[in-house]
Amino acid sequence: MRAFGPGSVSSLLKLALDVVRAALIAIIALTLIAAVAGAFIGADPDLLGPAAARRLRADGLAGAGAAILPGTAAAFGLLTLAVIERLRRIFATLIAGDPFHPDNVRRLRAVGLLLAAVELGRVPAATLIGLFAPRAAPGLSAVNPTAWFAVLVVFVLAEVFREGARLRREAELTI
Amino acid sequence: MAISIRIDPLLHARRMSLAELSDRVGIPASDLDLLRRGGAHAIRFATLDALCTALRCQPGDILAHDPGPAAGEAPGQPG
Repeated sequence: MRAFGPGSVSSLLKLALDVVRAALIAIIALTLIAAVAGAFIGADPDLLGPAAARRLRADGLAGAGAAILPGTAAAFGLLTLAVIERLRRIFATLIAGDPFHPDNVRRLRAVGLLLAAVELGRVPAATLIGLFAPRAAPGLSAVNPTAWFAVLVVFVLAEVFREGARLRREAELTI
Repeated sequence: MAISIRIDPLLHARRMSLAELSDRVGIPASDLDLLRRGGAHAIRFATLDALCTALRCQPGDILAHDPGPAAGEAPGQPG
């Protein structure tokens, strides 16, 4: 399989990143709209009619819970979008034939920190949701070993890229 | 670094410009200028070969070792 150009692995990965980015932007926009709507509906559930209001109250989503759930989802979506943006920039350097650009070390470290932030953010998110919508998302605070392993892998890759960037600089200065 | 590149005296002795040397060895003048100014980290054998051919000299005419005052105190140095 070709490394670059149409039908190559990199072109498929670029397409996947573009699709995920577009989907994330749409999801973030929807969750932000839902958070704003949730703030109004949570304050006055009867806006939706008596039956829907009863169901909201039964699910524990009356009050701040109706806004906090989509708001939390939007926050996680924004963090994931930041990861995708950095991956796209790293990919652009690969397409340009310069994957060991020094900026990629910084980008990979940022990806690692963002992934760690997503995982660490689950604790306050679970606390908030547990306070305002206890039946909405059980098990959110559970530690995910796979995600932490991914964080570790990204930091190891960042160090590999740092050495790659150093070798690239050496090659540039070898006449 | 204690290694220095002595292209300028060779160019002067042969009445050759850097651009002309660049044409002869097929290396960009900017790279040769970097080499001349001591900004390069390493030199390939192929480059050295091309320079020696173009300047009709030996590698020792291009490279020189100028040890500084602390060079003799370097760890692992025999002596």
